[in-house]
Amino acid sequence: MTEIIVVTSGKGGVGKTTTSASMACGLARRGKRVAVIDFDIGLRNLDLIMGCERRVVYDFVNVINGDCTLKQALIKDKRLETLHVLAASQTRDKDALTEDGVRRVLDELIADAFDYIICDSPAGIEKGAHLAMYFADRAVVVVNPEISSVRDSDRILGLLASKTHRAANGNGGVKEHLLLTRYNPRRVANGEMLSVEDVKEILGLDVIGVVPESPDVLAASNAGVPVILSDTSDAAVAYHDAVARLLGEELPLRFLDEPKRGFFARMFGG
Amino acid sequence: MTTQRAEAAPGPAIDIRFGQVGLIQVLIWTTDPGAILDELTGRVATAPKFFQRTAVSIDLGPLGREPSVQEMQGVLDAVRRAGMCPVGLASGAAVAQALSEPLDLPLLPPFREFHPPAEAGARARRETPRPQPQPEDGTLAQLHAHPVRSGQRVYARGRDLVVTAMVGAGAELIADGCVHVYGALRGRAVAGARGETGARVFCQDFHAELVSIAGVFRVFETLPPELAGKPVQAWLDGDALRFERLGA
Repeated sequence: MTEIIVVTSGKGGVGKTTTSASMACGLARRGKRVAVIDFDIGLRNLDLIMGCERRVVYDFVNVINGDCTLKQALIKDKRLETLHVLAASQTRDKDALTEDGVRRVLDELIADAFDYIICDSPAGIEKGAHLAMYFADRAVVVVNPEISSVRDSDRILGLLASKTHRAANGNGGVKEHLLLTRYNPRRVANGEMLSVEDVKEILGLDVIGVVPESPDVLAASNAGVPVILSDTSDAAVAYHDAVARLLGEELPLRFLDEPKRGFFARMFGG
Repeated sequence: MTTQRAEAAPGPAIDIRFGQVGLIQVLIWTTDPGAILDELTGRVATAPKFFQRTAVSIDLGPLGREPSVQEMQGVLDAVRRAGMCPVGLASGAAVAQALSEPLDLPLLPPFREFHPPAEAGARARRETPRPQPQPEDGTLAQLHAHPVRSGQRVYARGRDLVVTAMVGAGAELIADGCVHVYGALRGRAVAGARGETGARVFCQDFHAELVSIAGVFRVFETLPPELAGKPVQAWLDGDALRFERLGA
């Protein structure tokens, strides 16, 4: 049974691609067969974060147009053998994606018995973002703890509830999760950032993970190694937790407080 | 050729459908044709294309008495000479009933029951063209149990709207009746969308951006501290929108 997960946000620069890459790696590490697809046609980034940019020969649009087979376009990750990347086209624009074309590629991946297909959505609410979410079973909405990101996420959640295949066919809708990134407990304490509780309350959804703001994320991106693979980093631990929660494990949230204040006391003390 | 085929085709000769169109209301304060023509030609001149051959309903509400058929003939002539096409009569009371037949114009529901304005400024606001809510039989409130997200709009036609989840900033709730929100209201709430002045807005956790009842609205650039986050109701008191904490 294949599950299609869209990683989306509305707003740009909140960490969709970082999250897609890390979640895909995290799932593959647990032995799942994972394909991660870059839907940001024209602004190809996922391959850079995954460190496979020099191995892109064919891309998503080539597969849709029938220039190559899906097998030829899927790039096997060098670190995790059950992980595959389908890169975006850098030379086309979003109109190169069609609903029918996306459906064919996803159907082929489902037929190939992938466990998870991660769709890395572009920013915005236009065609690329629409098609990235359209066939999803689940959505990970990436949100930064600031009001414009929260507002855009609310908009995206509205679209997930109305403009998806599941919504249109009454299949119970897309299961939605929030993932907070760039979380800085000190700035939350100073009132410069929204807290997890604020975001949960505004969006009315549960949080699948809180990734602390960390210099490791940028370093990992530059190195082409998804941050989840840099095991000593707090961000990596947070992504591992998020993957575990995605798979149904129940774990307390970490990194909600500055280290010295003892987050377990707050989590369990109410 | 096309016509012949269409006429020969089996099936119904006509279709009857219910539809809504906006209709301009001309509220008359006098039956003096000269005064009406003067004012209408002045208004029409500001937007000649918009008013030319526009269907209008004549609302007798402000008149406060029953005009004679002759008086109304004069009024209709003046309206026609100004370039508009009267298509109906509207009045809160039964006065228009007796005029409907001799003038050969159907009776339409008025935009909203007319009350003399408390101040002169209120008159301009009243002229928004809106049809009166049509009473619909056996309509319960429309229930919406999912969050209403930014950019979404929920409309309850001819009835109340009940939302049992949160309403995000930038979302819009619209009802011809009342709006009830059992959750946080961060977006906009529009009650009495077709002019029902008795409509109200209720919510459990008030953070609204805008509240409107029968076209009278208030924007909340900053939330009054006595209302923010509180259970609140809003209603129309004459021309003023009032807000009150519930259960205080």
